[in-house]
Amino acid sequence: MSETPRGPRILTDDAPAPRLDFGWDVTVAPVAVTPPAGRRGWSAPALAAAGVAVLLLGLSAIDVGGYVADQFTRAPWLGWLTLGVAVAGYGLILAAMLRELRGLAGLGTVERGRAAVARGDFAAARAALLDWAGRLPAAQPMLPALRKAPDLPTLLALLEAGPLAALDRQAVAAGRAAALQSLAATAIVPSPALDGLFIAWRGLRLVREVAVIHGLRPGLLGTLKLLRRTLFEAGAVAAADVAINAAVTAVTTNPLVASVVGDAASGAVAARRMLLLARATARACRIVEPR
Amino acid sequence: MAILTPLEDALAGVADAARALAGRERVRLAVTGLSRAGKTVFLTSLVANLLAAGAGVNTLPALAAASGHRLRGARLVPPGVESTPRFDAAAHLEALAADPPRWPARTEDLSTLEIALDLAPASLLGQARGWVAGERRVTLELLDYPGEWLLDLPMLDQSYADWSRETLARLRQGRRAAAAADFLDFVDALPAAARDDEALARQGFRLYRAALLRCRDDLGFRFLQPGRALNPGPRGEAPLLWFFPLPGGAGGDLGRLLARRHAAYLADQRSAFFEPFFRRFRRQAVLVDALGALHAGEEAFDDTAAALAAIAASLRRGGGWLNLLTGQGVQHVGFAATKADHVPEPSRDSLVGLLRDLVGRDTAAAGGATTSVHAIAALRCTQDDVARVEGRDVAAVRGVLLEGGRSARIYPGEVPIRRPGRDFWQHGEFRMPVFRPPRLKGDGMAGMPHLGLDRMLAAVIGDLL
Ligand SMILES: Nc1nc2c(ncn2[C@@H]2O[C@H](COP(=O)(O)OP(=O)(O)OP(=O)(O)O)[C@@H](O)[C@H]2O)c(=O)[nH]1
Ligand SMILES: [Mg+2]
Repeated sequence: MSETPRGPRILTDDAPAPRLDFGWDVTVAPVAVTPPAGRRGWSAPALAAAGVAVLLLGLSAIDVGGYVADQFTRAPWLGWLTLGVAVAGYGLILAAMLRELRGLAGLGTVERGRAAVARGDFAAARAALLDWAGRLPAAQPMLPALRKAPDLPTLLALLEAGPLAALDRQAVAAGRAAALQSLAATAIVPSPALDGLFIAWRGLRLVREVAVIHGLRPGLLGTLKLLRRTLFEAGAVAAADVAINAAVTAVTTNPLVASVVGDAASGAVAARRMLLLARATARACRIVEPR
Repeated sequence: MAILTPLEDALAGVADAARALAGRERVRLAVTGLSRAGKTVFLTSLVANLLAAGAGVNTLPALAAASGHRLRGARLVPPGVESTPRFDAAAHLEALAADPPRWPARTEDLSTLEIALDLAPASLLGQARGWVAGERRVTLELLDYPGEWLLDLPMLDQSYADWSRETLARLRQGRRAAAAADFLDFVDALPAAARDDEALARQGFRLYRAALLRCRDDLGFRFLQPGRALNPGPRGEAPLLWFFPLPGGAGGDLGRLLARRHAAYLADQRSAFFEPFFRRFRRQAVLVDALGALHAGEEAFDDTAAALAAIAASLRRGGGWLNLLTGQGVQHVGFAATKADHVPEPSRDSLVGLLRDLVGRDTAAAGGATTSVHAIAALRCTQDDVARVEGRDVAAVRGVLLEGGRSARIYPGEVPIRRPGRDFWQHGEFRMPVFRPPRLKGDGMAGMPHLGLDRMLAAVIGDLL
């Protein structure tokens, strides 16, 4: 026989008791600093790409440097001129890179803001929202009130009532203008292929316009990102149609692609699509997700 | 199986790959468990705790650690145009939190729910993709259903004659024979060439169902077929249900009628339940009320083991080499002994051992999938305590009983680490009382107190996040 008693039994039947309380809410309360996201190492392809970029820029810079030095040996004025040209050229490249980074940073603010709002994290949401509002002309009159907002619901209500409503109106207006233009274009342009091309281009411009309305200045990468987000997020149906345009209808009606980007609506007219695209982009750019 | 299914599976595999590339994975988590195993409570706790974790609450620490703290948000996918009812996790949670609290009733219908998890990218490459395609999102597909229906799965590969023979053989064993005495007398008295008289069929089915219900409710048996005889579901009773096992199989007019109904029933279950919901799942959680089976006696324990083995075998057969070919197989299987809060901490390791022994043959042979075994309580209702039994201090649990709301200390007995010998069951059966859930927040903002749910999820879906 074993040492411990075997049969299970109910031992005591005490007086009525309140429900157990493990203090669970307290134990699981979020810690102040959330740990950083995972490994931030460089993957092999990223390393290789960075290497290629450094080689291209660096070697060409060295090359140009040598050339400038050569020119100085020929004649000082020639040297200065070449130097000026080189500095201007590299400066423009640098400016473009900075602008790309700024555009991406703007999108990052929007993402941080949204994430903080979704988490209900007032401090982080306030920081992101104020940062965003500070850069937006439409939000200037409201800044003092925003700074004083005591909690998240108030902050959101203020934003929805003031700047966000104005931005939504502007986005719709931009969409309407684009819609009129594409209506006109489809009437004038003779070939359906050109037609599709125009609409694709106008759609792309519309995305950027709406982004600017929302205080974002997306560069090339940023626009791409925004476009894809518009594709995946709201109004995926209409957006997919505009962006991918009629020439690739065959691709979009493929069930596999459709399962990823959503089915392309076949009967929608271009103008209506522009309106939808404006709305979808506004949704993607909005720092507070519309309810 | 239809000729097209392999093709469909292959296509689904490609679609999965496309979605994974776009950072939009969909993963079906199949939760299998016999009736009363704790599926509904498990799903409620899973949803509540994942939603809370998505909001930054530390409800699932082991899962967070396994996924490198990448979970950024979680939300329920809003309803679309599904024809299946929605699994109402919020209502279940509210009922558990209410005063007085209510456990979910027996599940009587299918219900589904999808939960979308937003994740931070894991690498720079992932980040680059994130620039283009937005955050990575994993959608988890969940399904709740009546546990009785799961036992129709092994029936799918059997003819009526085979099924009759095996079912009757099982029914004639030990305590089941007494519970099914009326039914057995009835079928044994039927002549082999009985006419297909509807009155006979109905009377046979009535007796058969009464026997099944007695086996389930009074004796704690689980290997009872067909599932809809016990739990007819939302569509109620239909003529295709009115069959029962006959000693002569499909010989004779009555046998042929019953065989036709048997075939129609299986076709119906296959197209309404198994094909749409139990194909193409990549993750599986197998919930087992191992303690309940242990306390229900030797025969019930072996019956539960046999039921689990039969289900596992037909799931494997359904997949087989085709899954390997199309990359559609199950990747991770987590076995869990539920209601682990019914035993104190020191016994939970033994509980894991017992479950491993109970499903032993399956864990070894689950073709290609990694398996893990856990002891969990989806909703923890007790605290550890000590008690004096037969002059000796033993580890016990203390909880508040659902009936009467009184505090009770329970000594759950020794938990063996493998199937015990006959003398273990000398002391007779024991019914664990139902506990009152602890104090809960009905809005789910803090999730639900659990034991070990996070470790199990880390093993089953941790690599997805
Ligand atoms: N103490 C405790 N009891 C539990 C736990 N999970 C389930 N139970 C008990 O087990 C019972 C059955 O749980 P359910 O989740 O409804 O079981 P199910 O698998 O959905 O059962 P069916 O719907 O009949 O197939 C509940 O009513 C509870 O009393 C748990 O984590 N702890
Ligand atoms: Mg249930």
